[in-house]
Amino acid sequence: MRKKILALVMAFAMLLSMLSLAGCQSNNSKNAFVVPEEGFNPDEQVSITFTHTMGAKLQGVLDTYIEEFNKIYPNIEITHQSAGGWSDINGQINTEIAGGNQPNIAYCYPDHVAMYNIAKSVVTLDNLIASEQVVPGTNEVLGLTAEQKDDFIKSYYDEGIVYGDDLMYTMPLNKSTEVLYYDKTFFEKNGLKVPTTWDELWDTCDKILKIDPNCYPLGYDAEDNWFITLCEQMKTGFTSAENGGEYLFNNDANKAFVKELREYYQKGYFTTQELYGSYTSNLFVETTDTRCYMCVGSSGGASYQMSNNDTTDGSFAFEVGVAPIPQYDANNRKTISQGPSLCILKGSKTTDQQVLASWLFVKFLCTNVDFQAEFSMASGYMPVLKSVTENEAYAAWLAKGNGYEYLVAKCVQVGIDGRDDYFVSPAFNGSSKAREQAGALLLKCLSGETPNGVDALINESFQEAIDECEY
Amino acid sequence: MSKSTTTVMQARDIQKMSVGQKIVRVLSKTGTYAFLLIMALIVLFPFYWMIISSLKTLAEYRQAIPTFWPRQIMWGNYAEAFTTANLGDLFMNTLYVGLVSTVLSLVITVLSAFAFARLEFKGKETLFGALLATMMIPGELFTITNYITINELGWMHTFTALIVPFLVSVFYIYLLRQNFMQIPNELYLAAKVDGTSDIKYLWKVMIPLALPTLISVTILKMMGAWNSYIWPKLVANDDAHQMITNGLRNAFTDTSGQANYPVQMAAVAIVSAPLFLVFLCLRKYIMSGVSRSGIKG
Amino acid sequence: MVDNKQQWKAWLYLAPACILLLVFTVWPIFNTLRMAFLNGYGNMAAIGGATFEFGIENFVKVIEYKEFLQCLQNTAILCVATVPISTILALLIAVALNSIKPLQKTLQTIFFLPYVTNSIAIGMVFAAMFNIVGLKQGSAMADTWGIINNVIQFFGGEPVNWLNAGSTYVSNMVVMVIYIVWNALPFKILILLGGLQSINKQYYDAAKVDGTPKARVLTKITIPLLSPMLAYVVITGFIGGFKEYSSIIGIFGDKMGPADDAGRLNTMVGFVYDALERDRQGRASAAALILFAIILAVTLFNNNVIKKHVHY
Repeated sequence: MRKKILALVMAFAMLLSMLSLAGCQSNNSKNAFVVPEEGFNPDEQVSITFTHTMGAKLQGVLDTYIEEFNKIYPNIEITHQSAGGWSDINGQINTEIAGGNQPNIAYCYPDHVAMYNIAKSVVTLDNLIASEQVVPGTNEVLGLTAEQKDDFIKSYYDEGIVYGDDLMYTMPLNKSTEVLYYDKTFFEKNGLKVPTTWDELWDTCDKILKIDPNCYPLGYDAEDNWFITLCEQMKTGFTSAENGGEYLFNNDANKAFVKELREYYQKGYFTTQELYGSYTSNLFVETTDTRCYMCVGSSGGASYQMSNNDTTDGSFAFEVGVAPIPQYDANNRKTISQGPSLCILKGSKTTDQQVLASWLFVKFLCTNVDFQAEFSMASGYMPVLKSVTENEAYAAWLAKGNGYEYLVAKCVQVGIDGRDDYFVSPAFNGSSKAREQAGALLLKCLSGETPNGVDALINESFQEAIDECEY
Repeated sequence: MSKSTTTVMQARDIQKMSVGQKIVRVLSKTGTYAFLLIMALIVLFPFYWMIISSLKTLAEYRQAIPTFWPRQIMWGNYAEAFTTANLGDLFMNTLYVGLVSTVLSLVITVLSAFAFARLEFKGKETLFGALLATMMIPGELFTITNYITINELGWMHTFTALIVPFLVSVFYIYLLRQNFMQIPNELYLAAKVDGTSDIKYLWKVMIPLALPTLISVTILKMMGAWNSYIWPKLVANDDAHQMITNGLRNAFTDTSGQANYPVQMAAVAIVSAPLFLVFLCLRKYIMSGVSRSGIKG
Repeated sequence: MVDNKQQWKAWLYLAPACILLLVFTVWPIFNTLRMAFLNGYGNMAAIGGATFEFGIENFVKVIEYKEFLQCLQNTAILCVATVPISTILALLIAVALNSIKPLQKTLQTIFFLPYVTNSIAIGMVFAAMFNIVGLKQGSAMADTWGIINNVIQFFGGEPVNWLNAGSTYVSNMVVMVIYIVWNALPFKILILLGGLQSINKQYYDAAKVDGTPKARVLTKITIPLLSPMLAYVVITGFIGGFKEYSSIIGIFGDKMGPADDAGRLNTMVGFVYDALERDRQGRASAAALILFAIILAVTLFNNNVIKKHVHY
């Protein structure tokens, strides 16, 4: 009896290993989505759902383009809903995946996709993108044409493959980044140059502090972004998505730059949102009290960096300039990329037709120049296509960026100019923890008490952060 | 004891009081008022904050140094709240869910509390202990299982999914049981001898006596419907069933997905106003107490 | 002696509650138990086809967590400090509110207002009251000290760093206790006011005739007769206190501590949430069961104490 069972188990194990081998031998791993040969059926009614975090205004733009889309594909019915904010959407979709009710398309950050992917619920896009099937009833191919692929800003497009297995999981929708806002009026008056490297930045801070001793020369809103960006710019290592996720940030090079930052903080060169106790953009728009003259914040938050126009004649107190964030190495320019991508989800109830319809809609949103332009103007995010700048209305809108009433347009312009610099940190189960710990670690190292010396504090903080990540 | 004799006695008491006693009396009254007024201010502060926040511009709201009075009063926030979100539908959905779940929940709570307070049955203590124990596990762990259950039952996107899972609250059963246990058992036994049915006894004696507590439960339950957010978002976030908090949170976000709090606060204030009026009417039932004639303590 | 008719009648009355509880509470609890004893269970992983072995690894992992004792300690401190303070304050307010004539209605109305106040507003007020903005490193300068510190300075005291970078554990805890008490007050006042109405007025009339002092009336009549409601408020307060989590998020945000020491104020339920976010339902469930065991022990102890003092 026992022998029989053993034999059965052996046979089963062999079968399994054969199957997995077979899976590996084909071009794509067994998780990859395979485009069905019969292709998209334009006569079959398909309903798909789309969950996002758009407010009322952006939903209006979306509705317009769903109508446009339905002119080409009248058989695809799209319902969309907002899941609230970024902090809500992944929790909701996690639960929906458990019930098999996940939306077909979702707004996503890489960390979210890594989680959905544990449940193997994300459709890989490689075969869809490569498909040369002609969609019946139209003259377009299912996949992306070479021109379409080339039109994407490459660094945005590459965000789809940060999951450690070289497969494409997401398409970029609209993006934001970090930019350096500065008080242009003040800079011009005092003959200051806008810093492009960190060394120049610290020099500038020193000069500003001499002009106005009661100020923070620089305000940096997001501590976690700062740490991650520096790791990336200096190539010192933050995390890797290899082997299900590795934490690489506990090293001497990172400790060295954190120590340096601490010295600058102690000199009063900068503050951050947490250290200051409020958004540093509040310091930036301030004109009478303590203020800061440079501020690193999200390009999507431009409206909060607008200098006060409470003056009686309605003019602005000072002109705001926008520049790319400082770099460490001109040959390795890196700026963090944020903002929504789209992923396609599948469950046991999802049909191939739904996946194809979802893909067609995702492709439509990501490659339609008019939509990209309009969405960018409504949201202040950056379009992901190079050719959008050739759109007339968009070009006119961007041109206004020269006057300082149009800070949003100016930010978008800076974002578009820096299109080759963007990166996202690798995503895996635990990458959001790493991000959270990066912020906490930096704060502790900057402001913590040092009864046993600075090095002890820094070593201890790094160790704690790594323990917390690896737990 | 009739009311008139009490009054006469009080009058006689006051006459008998010495000057010293009078001073103590005045002092203690002043102390009571001072205490109540200070506590009232503390409790009132967030409400005040909600109102002034609803009248600020987004820029002023985000300021590092908060202002106690809006520099520029933005009545426009209220107009925007009215026009952006579909307040009418949201209000009706929430009212419907609130009313139905409150009524059904009250029935279930009263019946269970009665069984625990008045009836003798095997395993009563154990069952009650078990019920209390269920309160001790963080409810967040239940979400996924309950979501799957609702899904299997085919209740997605129905009002049923919003109402049924929360009908039983051990919290309220426990509260009402405590209240029922204060009502002397002799009354029940006497009613039994008279041949009064349980239901009639409940309706005629227990419920009137426990009215203040029942009203409290009503208020808490209604507020629950008003504030529920995570569960409704999961099971019924479509236009036909959307609840007030979901509608508000989703409608008033700026382009980068951040909430436009001043307008949100304005919307909250608008939809809370009718609720507040209802509470004002209910208040007198909580506060006035109940006529006790014919009941021995 | 239990008669049979009462038996089935009791179960009939309890039937609706029991059926609903079975489906929406007992079944999830059963699931929690199952997940706690499957090593490394994750919901997403399970959907993705992963399998898990039966074992107690989850419990071991929870207890091995470096900050486990810190979480437990924070939870315990918050519970022990907030329950008595909020109960006593609520009792005094309810009794005072019940004893006055002029302004009674106005004051009652004010104590109802928290029920129609949006919870976001409550969190914000607190930040505005305790938050110091622009505290300069190594100097006694700040842009705003916050209302509380302004009051302290008005009376000639030194401002305290309550919750910003560099604040002490004790001052963090003080803020949390004040916030939780404040949050809990309206509910407790409502319950106790309701309870006060159930006390027969004849007792008070009798006390008046005897000329009993007020303090004695409170301790000898009001508290004993209100004891069932007080017991309720205390027991549910403890259960709620052990599950404290959202109030800390409300003050300190997701980092659960001041800027320079994230996680300092983490609690047991905070740990559960953290585990859920990383698809570790097994660990989350194990932590919840450990918490359950602790609350159960405390509640049994409370019940025993209370039984001796509660008069129905």
